[in-house]
Amino acid sequence: MTSQIVQSVLAEAEKRGAKKVTEVHLIVGKLTFLGLEQVRFAFEALTKGTIMEGSKLIIEEQEGIVKCSHCGYEGGFKYEDDPLYHVPVPTLKCPKCGNVVSIVAGKECTIKSIRMMV
Amino acid sequence: MSEDLLKANRNLAEENRRFLQKNGVRAIDVMGAIGSGKTSLIEKLVQQLKSNYEIAVFKGDLTTTIDAELIARHGVKTVAINTGKECHLDANLVKKALLKLDLKKLDVLFIENVGNLICPAEFPLGSNKRIVVISVTEGPYMVIKHPFIFMEADVVAINKVDLAKAMGVNVEQLEKDVKTVNPKTMVVATNCRTGEGVDDVAKALGF
Repeated sequence: MTSQIVQSVLAEAEKRGAKKVTEVHLIVGKLTFLGLEQVRFAFEALTKGTIMEGSKLIIEEQEGIVKCSHCGYEGGFKYEDDPLYHVPVPTLKCPKCGNVVSIVAGKECTIKSIRMMV
Repeated sequence: MSEDLLKANRNLAEENRRFLQKNGVRAIDVMGAIGSGKTSLIEKLVQQLKSNYEIAVFKGDLTTTIDAELIARHGVKTVAINTGKECHLDANLVKKALLKLDLKKLDVLFIENVGNLICPAEFPLGSNKRIVVISVTEGPYMVIKHPFIFMEADVVAINKVDLAKAMGVNVEQLEKDVKTVNPKTMVVATNCRTGEGVDDVAKALGF
């Protein structure tokens, strides 16, 4: 995934004739399975020797947002906090009315902006 | 610049879905951990459905065609998709594999994903239904530790129920956990060695 990010940034930088990329701003949904530590580590390794080397990586996390078609609720997940579970478990039940919600945000991995020197 | 890198896969999945639909093919994505019984379930479903439907199976694995050969014994067209190192199938791999089938002659396509409860949740393939197979031998916390894949599932099969007692795993609790995470999914208890519960899986999948 990170190599896709780096490739996309490099392609964009090349298109614009950039000499150096100084900053990459990502939006990563909390419902993706991207480990941010690993993304940072891979980003550093993969940009070595490219015009992106040393660029600043900003990662903005997007919360998971659900929407209920029954009562119109839009917001965060409901979590079941049963002591048996050790951790709060997210559920697709609407926190307001208990019907089934659908996920509307939190699954993205977007390059929001790139700062570069031309 | 705004480019969603995961969206590229989702768009391809939509393309696959439309392509399959146009050809009247029902596709079912079978997901689950390594050794949970995905292949056994597909074998049993194929045995049960092949007299009424023309079936093909995509079998995703890192390497080898062992499972693909197991399924091919039942006389259905089987395509092994070896991902090499990747832990999941993606829509592009499925798109390429679709070219190996004569979709016009086909009614049902089972797509067996690589054994994994994490990554496949992130990569839809273009199927109509998604089923997750878990088994009691994976322990009692399989569902609550991987809630997101269950949010994507239309049907969940809890397999190897004959071993529940020996494993000290409560099947009802697992079922309750699935329903907690995703109230709209259907849960079926199975023993894919004997075929117990496979009828109900077929029904839950709409057959």
